Amino acid sequence: MAKEMTLVSVGIDVGTTTTQLVISRLTLVNVMPGSQVPKVEISHKSISYMGKVHFTPFEDRRHVDGGALRKIIAKEYEKAGVKPEQIDTGAIIITGETAKKENASEIIHSLADYAGDFVVATAGPDLESVIAGKGSGAEALSKRLHACIANIDIGGGTTNIAYFDRGKCIGTACINVGGRLLEVDPISHRLTYISSPAQKILNEYCTETSKVQSGNELVSVKNCLRSMVECVERVVFQEPLLAQDSCLVMTNLLPNVKIDGVVFSGGVAKYIYLPGIEEWWIHGDVGPLLAEAFQESRIYSSFPIHEGSETIHATVLGAGAHTVNVSGSTITVSEHSLPLRNVPAVFPESETSGKFSWLKSVDNYLDSLYHTVALIVPPLPNTDFLTILTLAETLASELPLIKGEPKVVIAQQDIAKVLGQTLQRLLPAIPLVCLDGIELAFGDFLDIAKPLPYQDTVPVIVKTLIFAR
Amino acid sequence: MSLEDSVRLIVEELLKGIEKEKNQSSNSSSPLANSSIMDEGEITDLAEIDLQRYLQVPNPVNKEIYNEMKLATPARIGVWRSGPRPLTDTLLRFRADHAVAQDSVLGVVPEEFPAKYKMVSIQTLCKSKDEYLTRPDLGRKLDEENLEILTKGCPKGAMVQIIVSDGLSSKAVEANIPNLLPALIQGLEGMGVKLGTPIFVRNGRVAVMDTIGEELKPEVAVILIGERPGLGTAESMSAYMGYNPRLGMVESERTVISNIHKGGTPAAEAGAHLASLIKKILDAKASGVNLE
Repeated sequence: MAKEMTLVSVGIDVGTTTTQLVISRLTLVNVMPGSQVPKVEISHKSISYMGKVHFTPFEDRRHVDGGALRKIIAKEYEKAGVKPEQIDTGAIIITGETAKKENASEIIHSLADYAGDFVVATAGPDLESVIAGKGSGAEALSKRLHACIANIDIGGGTTNIAYFDRGKCIGTACINVGGRLLEVDPISHRLTYISSPAQKILNEYCTETSKVQSGNELVSVKNCLRSMVECVERVVFQEPLLAQDSCLVMTNLLPNVKIDGVVFSGGVAKYIYLPGIEEWWIHGDVGPLLAEAFQESRIYSSFPIHEGSETIHATVLGAGAHTVNVSGSTITVSEHSLPLRNVPAVFPESETSGKFSWLKSVDNYLDSLYHTVALIVPPLPNTDFLTILTLAETLASELPLIKGEPKVVIAQQDIAKVLGQTLQRLLPAIPLVCLDGIELAFGDFLDIAKPLPYQDTVPVIVKTLIFAR
Repeated sequence: MSLEDSVRLIVEELLKGIEKEKNQSSNSSSPLANSSIMDEGEITDLAEIDLQRYLQVPNPVNKEIYNEMKLATPARIGVWRSGPRPLTDTLLRFRADHAVAQDSVLGVVPEEFPAKYKMVSIQTLCKSKDEYLTRPDLGRKLDEENLEILTKGCPKGAMVQIIVSDGLSSKAVEANIPNLLPALIQGLEGMGVKLGTPIFVRNGRVAVMDTIGEELKPEVAVILIGERPGLGTAESMSAYMGYNPRLGMVESERTVISNIHKGGTPAAEAGAHLASLIKKILDAKASGVNLE
């Protein structure tokens, strides 16, 4: 048995402005001494290929050009020198304004050959915030400093904020503030496109923007950006939002806690850390000007500003290297029952007798959207055989009443093997996936990949969609 | 009176005074002390305190991080001090844990324990704990009488022979077997493995497996045996597995899973894991380094 193995993981980020691909290597190691029950962890993440930053191809302002996107990805695979079948796991993250339903299915469809079985399309501003914060190094920093660090990822279409308290994400927010909400002609420096949120703000400063002189235009653009950044300030400082903020703030689930520092990431962050660029029009957008507005903000002056390990690549790195968890090696998985996608985590209600019941909670997930659900076993008072047997009996009586196969059960304690074996005895004919060692919260969704040929581990991607408050 | 005499006198007087004080205090204050204890109901057992959650540093600068550090390790860190010495509390707990470890080595698995789990009970050549500790070689051997109990009570040639032994911790056996054994048996039977009658060996060493193997010729033997206790836990158990157990087999032929206890791998989960590991050994027809 090998001491360790490497997983090739691909991350693809299809954002409002840019599309990127990164290929990383995740090293899995058994962290326990040879004489103990193995426990596999991801010990090391390294980037083996960092793709170019491409503009996301659009057919029109709203629809992604699937064919062109496919070409970009094909070329990147070729340049990286890997074939789709060599990729073990990974994720496509469709972010920002691109994350619309019709786009998502178009992207999944056009990338099916490259993304394979295991790679997962996910969207949603909350997840994006978390992933960017992991990719930028803010999560690791908060853990290292034992502090609460805010990651502010400023992209083309949105600003994604995530708070990490000692390595744990405690809240996110997504605000429609980005470098590409206004586009300019790199030669004339005149506005060529104004997105609808920007238009609303801009209207406050100048009603006939496109007709005024270039000099005045720049002033109103700067005013508009400052106004947008002020909205971000209000969110961060937990101040009452103004009427004009409603068109900008998409989600806001930030807790009212004191933050100890800020990390900026995303394409715009580069110009926050390296200010003073003269040719602000260089990208055909107002990114550098937005960076300037952030630099003059109260956020910049009130908190210690840390530099993360990544800026523009934060999200794609997060997608490629930081989304994968590995379930413990003492698990039970029926043959051919994996992979599974978008499995909602269902927490039980505890009855007065102290027993758990999942039947009521499952009712919320009964639409045909979900192939199957994952029943979460909360921490038990002890892990005695009798306790597990009682639990297994409850599960065995409820599982057949719950739609979908295979049946997925995820325990919070190290009991997946014994629980799985007991369930297999009680329900011999039903395909079962019983895992542990994965931290889950209410509202999480899971993608469970095929078992790896190493210590029977299973890669799991946890998608946090909402934060319970 | 010489100087020497007067000094002696003074000392004698002083000693008398001290004696008197002692008597008085023992007469007057001890009933008081007793009653105050009675009032409180009971003295809390020092060993009951969860050390990892016990914050002894008064007014820590950052309680949260202190707490986190304590929870990160079972080592006795952040225990505070009295001058350059540990607190009485810390010292007593240290000695209490040491005593638990010693008790566990010298303790005896109750007489009725083997029968409760339908095990055939035998004993090695060691007649006492002292002999067991000083003569490891005898802990691997069985006399004629015990061999006969084996052949009478256990079928020969089982696929898997389960052996339980007290080893260096009787507490480990009592704490883990009730949860491990049913999980192990359920797991193995679920995979269609035929089991022999489990055996309990008093004063056994790991290699008693070889002696039993020679007699009963199972395909695989697994011995669940108490580990030498430490200050962290006295309830840790190991499982050694051998394919084709026989006299003269080498240690590298044994597969081992150690640290089976509440704070390590929980007993029930360990039983389930052992079941699939034993299945692997049966399929590969090899154990130890030959299995890797």
